[in-house]
Amino acid sequence: MDNPLSQNPDSTWGRFFRNAELEKMVDQDLSRLYPEHGSYFQTPGCQGMLRRILLLWCLGHPECGYRQGMHELLAPLLYVLHVDVERLSEVRKLYEDHFIDKFDGLSFEENDVTYNFDFKKFLDSMEDEIGSHSNSKKVKSLDELDPEIQTIVLLSDAYGAEGELGIVLSEKFMEHDAYCMFDALMSGAHGAVAMADFFSPSPAAESHSSLPPIIEASAALYHLLSIVDSSLHSHLVELGVEPQYFALRWLRVLFGREFSLQDLLVIWDEIFTADNSQLHRDSEDDESSSFKILNSHRGALISAVAVSMILYLRSSLLATENATSCLQRLLNFPENINLKKIIVKAKSLQILALDSNVSSLSSTFGGAYNCSKSAVVRGHSLSSDSVSPKTPLSLVPDSYWEEKWRVLHKEEELRQNSVGKQTPSGKKRWSEKVKLSLSRTESDPSPARAENCKKGHRSSIRRSLLEDLSRQLGLEEDAEKGGCLGASNSEDDHCIEVLVEGDNCTNKESICAAEERCESGSGTVVSDENSSIFSEPASPGSGTNDHENDTEKSSVASNLFIDENDDHQQSNLEDSPLPVSLPPEDVSLNSLHENESSGKMVSAMKERRHLSGRFQWFWKFGRNNVGEETSDKGGTNEAAKSPNHDCKRQVIESVFQQDRCQVGSLDNFSKNILVGKGQVTAMTALKELRKISNLLSEIV
Amino acid sequence: MVLVLAIGDLHIPHRAPDLPPKFKSMLVPGKIQHIICTGNLCVKEVHDYFKSLCPDLHVTRGEFDEDSRYPENKTLTIGQFKLGICHGHQVIPWGDLDSLAMLQRQLDVDILVTGHTHQFKAYKHEGGVVINPGSATGAYSSFTYDVNPSFVLMDIDGLRVVVYVYELIDGEVKVDKIDFKKTATTRSAQ
Repeated sequence: MDNPLSQNPDSTWGRFFRNAELEKMVDQDLSRLYPEHGSYFQTPGCQGMLRRILLLWCLGHPECGYRQGMHELLAPLLYVLHVDVERLSEVRKLYEDHFIDKFDGLSFEENDVTYNFDFKKFLDSMEDEIGSHSNSKKVKSLDELDPEIQTIVLLSDAYGAEGELGIVLSEKFMEHDAYCMFDALMSGAHGAVAMADFFSPSPAAESHSSLPPIIEASAALYHLLSIVDSSLHSHLVELGVEPQYFALRWLRVLFGREFSLQDLLVIWDEIFTADNSQLHRDSEDDESSSFKILNSHRGALISAVAVSMILYLRSSLLATENATSCLQRLLNFPENINLKKIIVKAKSLQILALDSNVSSLSSTFGGAYNCSKSAVVRGHSLSSDSVSPKTPLSLVPDSYWEEKWRVLHKEEELRQNSVGKQTPSGKKRWSEKVKLSLSRTESDPSPARAENCKKGHRSSIRRSLLEDLSRQLGLEEDAEKGGCLGASNSEDDHCIEVLVEGDNCTNKESICAAEERCESGSGTVVSDENSSIFSEPASPGSGTNDHENDTEKSSVASNLFIDENDDHQQSNLEDSPLPVSLPPEDVSLNSLHENESSGKMVSAMKERRHLSGRFQWFWKFGRNNVGEETSDKGGTNEAAKSPNHDCKRQVIESVFQQDRCQVGSLDNFSKNILVGKGQVTAMTALKELRKISNLLSEIV
Repeated sequence: MVLVLAIGDLHIPHRAPDLPPKFKSMLVPGKIQHIICTGNLCVKEVHDYFKSLCPDLHVTRGEFDEDSRYPENKTLTIGQFKLGICHGHQVIPWGDLDSLAMLQRQLDVDILVTGHTHQFKAYKHEGGVVINPGSATGAYSSFTYDVNPSFVLMDIDGLRVVVYVYELIDGEVKVDKIDFKKTATTRSAQ
């Protein structure tokens, strides 16, 4: 028997009591809605509409129920609808003659008694006047009207070809429209970001993490912030400011409580223009920690707006000492803000957010990766007129590791030298190999190896040569190059391997360039005097141009390769400082260009001990040399610039790709260096190197 | 949808220790808007307990009540109905229909709620409704020991009142429902 006290939850009475609870909560929230605009939002008509819409939606979605904040998502929607309807009716009144609701000469009357509350009074009290009460004179024809009004009139012709603004906007159906809009917003309208998720306490069905969606989304915010501005991020994390403390409110109400109504509408315009369709990712992402919120353009923009807001408060946040004051500042967003700036910033971050979702996979690389990524990001954000200044703090680690590696490398070198192993001086090897290669017609790993094993007096000379050269090269405009110089710590083998593998000219180019760089790099590494060069790479690697990046990265990689090889010819790769600087370069390589070079680099990395490739490279280099003029030191650029498939040409070309005009001279110098042609002795090489350095200094 | 609980004759602690646990589990705060108590609670603790169920509590004095401040009769209006409360030991003969009708006319109420007999009764009489919720604890009465615990919940909805009676028979709660509709108001007798 169904009775009021029945304990059966499905009884009609049980439902009645539950609904009564719901209504109580809704009423409680509605009474506190937008008190500053109370003349509209607190009117019984508006409140009634809001209550009905909210109750209906909640009853239709019992799994979500009603949560505080839903009313704040609905209110602006209703407001906008009302404003539009009012505007339309005003225009109608002023230009009555033009609004002919006639179909085949018959007119239809509308009786509107439902929504009587006085919206006009509210409009008058609003700070920015929405309606225009100025123009009251009659106009004869449509053409005399202001274009905006004209549009409104034309679009209102329900039966006309122009449009149906009058039908789309209807006072009678305002509540219905608001309900539909609210429903679309909450359920995501088949998109990725559904606001209803943010209100649910349990993890979403297909989420990878076991966190409630709002927590996940807050984590996504911090993830994006860490990419963009890791110093601020680490500061906040240090203070123990969890993202959900403030992000909960920001996200659940879509920043409704942070901005005034008019500002909020601007932001919502931006957010809702963004497409909400799910971005499809490759299957390998399934296992990753990708953030659901970042799975659509809209979600990315929402996160970007949030991060942009955090960055807006950057200086005051960095000044705080404890979590409370930090949260205070975050939760009391300032009143007078440059909204445009925030939005522009957010748009630039949106792209980043979308990218970062993919690369959140490779979080295994950790800090080093972040550093290099932030270097890239920095460039990106710098180019987009950032609101807040960024400190290059995140780049400190890069050079830090470089220094470390250098120190370690030097020690090892000394050790190796004493043992009689080949020094890391690329130049020496170069000439040696050239010599070797020229004496052979086939590539043969063993001789190279044997050659490499040759130690001796040359090493010191080579080293100094390299120092000079690297300094010169390092002083080139391209700071990035210097960066890659600094980061050099890999095996030469790889570079060569890549060369061997690559039939592609460009590939070899970059690799060769890398080789060159590497050599210089190793020289740099060896010498202490090149700290200046290292400081150069400390400047953020801005995304100048892809080509540069390519070469840089490839050179980095090859540097890595070459130096590695230098260090441990046949021994195991020394892992201690190397992996640290390696991954950033490697990863940045991977992330920055999908072209063959990175792929090659990676593949090259895998095979560390193949001297054959290296030998071949040198062989080709030697061949290139042979074909070149040996005496021309003045350097003509033609040779350098004319693309040819010869490896050597490419090497030289790629090395100086950035400074196209200067390439030639350097080109020739390197050629001259390599010109050894079997006759190169240590002294010759030295001379050549000196010439190169001189030329470089001239260029610079 | 106003829910009014009519309850009485508990005789706690003299004749019964407490409400039956099944009743207690059903009576939760928040559902009931008014409580009408016929009397003989008897102690203040019971009064407080009822207050916790619903803040709007109306009690009339029974002969064993320890609080002497309760009135003999009480009338109140809920929705379209006028309710009258009296313990019933004043109306002699106890439980007599006509005498209670006399009291109803006297108080000029649509629904008269009385107790004292410890027997559930609900009937229409001369245009009015007389309800006796019985004893909520099943305490023995002046004339019988065989008393089933019972109470009444009224759902007043416009001109219609639905009376749910809850009785504990053989350890099980049995619910019954009676519908009463208010007709045009009858003129009270002179």
